Formats: sequence, structure tokens, C-alpha cells
Amino acid sequence: MKRLLGVALGILTAIGGFVDIGDLVTNAVVGSRFGMSLAWVVVIGVVGICLFANMSGRVAAVSGRATFEVIRERMGPRAGLANLGASFLINLMTVTAEIGGIALALQLASGVAYMLWVPFALLAVWLVIWRVKFSIMENVTGLVGLTLVVFAVALFLLKPDWGSLAAQALSPSVPGEESTGTYWYYAIALFGAAMTPYEVFFFSSGAVEERWKVKDLVQSRINVLLGFPLGGFLSLAIAACAAVVLLPAGISVTTLSQVVLPVAQAGGQLALAVLILGIVAATFGAALETTLSSGYTLAQYFGWPWGKFRRPAAASRFHVAMMVVLLAGVAVLATGVDPILVTEYSVVFSAIALPLTYLPILIVANDPQYMGKHVNGRAVNVAGLVYLVIILVASIAAIPLMIASGAGA
Amino acid sequence: MSKAKRIQPSEIRPAPRAAGKVLDAQLHLLDRQMLDVDGVPVSTVDDVELSGPEPDERIPESAPAPHITALLTGPVLGTRIFGGRPPSSRLIRIPWRVVAGVDTVITLGVRSDSLDASWVERWLRNHVIARIPGGRHDP
Repeated sequence: MKRLLGVALGILTAIGGFVDIGDLVTNAVVGSRFGMSLAWVVVIGVVGICLFANMSGRVAAVSGRATFEVIRERMGPRAGLANLGASFLINLMTVTAEIGGIALALQLASGVAYMLWVPFALLAVWLVIWRVKFSIMENVTGLVGLTLVVFAVALFLLKPDWGSLAAQALSPSVPGEESTGTYWYYAIALFGAAMTPYEVFFFSSGAVEERWKVKDLVQSRINVLLGFPLGGFLSLAIAACAAVVLLPAGISVTTLSQVVLPVAQAGGQLALAVLILGIVAATFGAALETTLSSGYTLAQYFGWPWGKFRRPAAASRFHVAMMVVLLAGVAVLATGVDPILVTEYSVVFSAIALPLTYLPILIVANDPQYMGKHVNGRAVNVAGLVYLVIILVASIAAIPLMIASGAGA
Repeated sequence: MSKAKRIQPSEIRPAPRAAGKVLDAQLHLLDRQMLDVDGVPVSTVDDVELSGPEPDERIPESAPAPHITALLTGPVLGTRIFGGRPPSSRLIRIPWRVVAGVDTVITLGVRSDSLDASWVERWLRNHVIARIPGGRHDP
């Protein structure tokens, strides 16, 4: 019974934890401009993140080594440092976006300008990282984030023409008023949002934090293989809501209030209240995950003590690094830059850095010295290689497409 | 140093066969995590220090083989990435004699706090983290 509860809890937190500000904004933008014609990208992205999150969890559980330690060991200090630089920068952008997201959601709820909520959000995120147990942090934000299901409920309440939504999704085509370059640019952005590298850093370090052993692997696999796809469904519901309400009205999403508009229209104030709660929880959870991830990557590259299972005094550089990251993120927000814009760029830069993260995981998951008999099977390796090709193509195409499409303008 | 100046020994005999476990420095030592006797991470192996002849020194016939004197960490990492060589006095050494085991991690037989390699950790602990309320308590 306890085990079953554990599985259920794991799945629920994986669903709630899947969606962050990047998924919220990118899916809404895409839905409002391309309808469901990019739904296939979400599916590809979700399968990819399942594949690699599962692999990195297995590496962490079997060898006790988190992803970034492995990256440095296998790629050497030079390539490792380049990777660290890129990952750290993207993490910083994502932290900035998530804190901005918390503040924007609180602005929606209160009417108080988001800039005034930023210091509050910063303090709350830091306090949780400083004092709250890892498992409690994970479970609470994940479970509350589950209220984002209201997007799916709203979709039903909107009584859309399911046939045309399905037709858009199943036979994708570039809508008439958009260019092909823009379509592919947003395809890469969606892919980056679904496969953000921080999820893998966080997942593998979390496995070490929670002291997973080989016998926990089954549970972790169930969490990933059920939780992430259901999280992907939430992403699709966000896009579908935007496609049903915003696309016909010609509204393209540039603010968070436009993201929530379909839900408010379908379910009224109550749905909106639930949704705002969900957005706060999802962005708060993701802010914790990204802040921790930037600490994890630095500490694992340089070999510092890390982890929330240690007292802060026993992982001092790790905690100082996270404080610096949080302050840097808030400093960026203080310039008045639009958090939604930061989000849109962060998902594309994530896509660019993807190969750096996923290649070493695939290599180590095949190394018997680390993995013993738990090395990758042939099917997983074939899938991993196929995904590496996709990731590489997306990564190489991202910058040219960004320039050609004027960053999706 | 130019190729012409390098002193070549008259005859090179093959290396004697090694007894015991053969370690590849690149594969098994460099960039591995070091854990102390309690399992606390100390640092990553950033470089390895070898005993033995200086460059351009003639090697006598019966000279002992070079051996690892210390694992290095700290700023020496920069020289591995960007090139150059730090002065010997600036190296942060973890003497090879405290190494207890080499596996996917390198285990040391001493406590992290007794090593120079963890001075930044201790400094930040004593001057920053421990002074913030809650810093010394379990989360």
C-alpha cells in the first residue's frame, strides 16, 4: 500500500512538475499562432525527455554519479567547461524567467505590479532552498501544480470542434499567414521547452539526493513513463485552449494574462483562481529546480560537496553559488526586461545546448564500469541515437532560424 | 623547447611489465571525483603531479621510474584548459599517500577538513553560511 502511494505520488508530482513557465508561454504562443499544427513536436519532445530522464536516473541510481560529474569525466575539462558555461547561462535565464513568472502570476491575482512581487518571490524561493526538505519541496509544488489540469477542463468547457483540432494536429501544415521559417523556429522552441536540460540535471541529482538504489528503478521508470506524458498532455491542452480562443480572435500571446484568457473565458473567476494557483506552484517549483540545477552543475563540475540532504554549512560553496544565481536573476529582472521575452529566448537556447547534455549521458549509460549489468539495451541505444540526431539538427538549425525568422516575429 | 635540443637516450628498452592493477591516468584519475573518508566530496582531480626528471635533464641508466606524488586541484585546472604551468609553490596538493582507493570515485583515507584542497569551502562556511540563521541545521 505504501509502495502504491509512493508510485501515485511520484506520478502526480511528475505531471505537476513537468510544466514550467517555458511550457506555459511557448505552448500558448504556438497555439495562438499555429493552432495544433505543432502538436507533433510536443509528442517528440516528451518521448525524448522520458528516454533521457530515465537514462540519467538509472545512471545516478546504479553508479551514484550525477549527470554533470559524468559529463566532466567523459568529455574532459575543456568540453566540460564549455558545457558548464552554456548550461549555467541557460539555467540563469530560466531562473530569471521562472521568478518573473511567479511575480507575473501574483500580479494577475493581486493587481500589484509584478516588479514589487519579485523580491518577495526571490526570498520565498531562497527560504525553501535553505530550509525545506527535498522530498517535501518536490511533492508540494508538484501536487499544487497539478491544478494546471484546469487547462484541460477549460478545453472541455469551451466545447471546441474536436474534429478540426485533431485534423490540425494529425495533418500539420503551416498556417497561411505564417512563414515556414517561423513555423520551424517555434518547432525548435517547443522542443527546447519540453526537453530543457535542467530537467535532466535536476532529475539525476534528485536521484542522488533521495538516495535511489537499483531497486527504486522500477518506481522511477513508472514516474517518468506515466508522469511526463501526462504532463505533455497538459502542454497540449494549453496549446489547444489558445488555438480555440486566441487564434480565431487574432490575439498572439505576449503576456501571461493572454495565456490565462481562455481559461477565464471558459470557467470564470473560480477557474482563473485555480489556474493562478497552479501557475504560481508550477513556476515556483521550476524556480527551485533551476536554482538547484545551477548549483548542482557548478558543484559537480568542480567536485564540491552538494545537495539538500547536507546541512547548508556542509555544502557552503553550493549554497553560496545558488544565492549568487538568484541575485543575478533578480538583477536581470530589475532592468525591466519582459520575463515572457526571457522565457521565449531561454527555451531556444536550451535547444541549442541539448547535445552537450544528452551525448555524455548516452555514453556513460553504456559504460559497464559505471553501470555493471544495467547498461543500455539495444532498443534504448537505437532510440537514444535517433534522438541525438534530432537534437543535433535542432541545435544547429536554431540560430539560423532565429535570425531568418527575426526570433519568431 | 625545440626538437633539436631534446636529449634522446641512446637506447630505449621496453617498459617492464606492471604488477597489479594498471591505471590509465587519463581514464581513471583525471577529472574523477575525490571523496574523503566519510564520503564527503573533496574536489575533482584537476591534474596529477609526477616525480622524476625535469625536462631536458639526462636520465641515467638505472633511474627509478617516475611515480605519482600528488593529485592536484584548484587553479591548476585553468592551465589544463588554457595551457601554461603554474609555479610549484602555488599548487594545491593531495598527497598520493592519503589515497585509499581508485574506482569510479577516488577515495581518500583522511577527512576533507584536514586538506588544503577544501580551504574555500571552509572559508565560505565560517564567514558566510554558518552566520546565516539555520545554516548549521539539517533542512
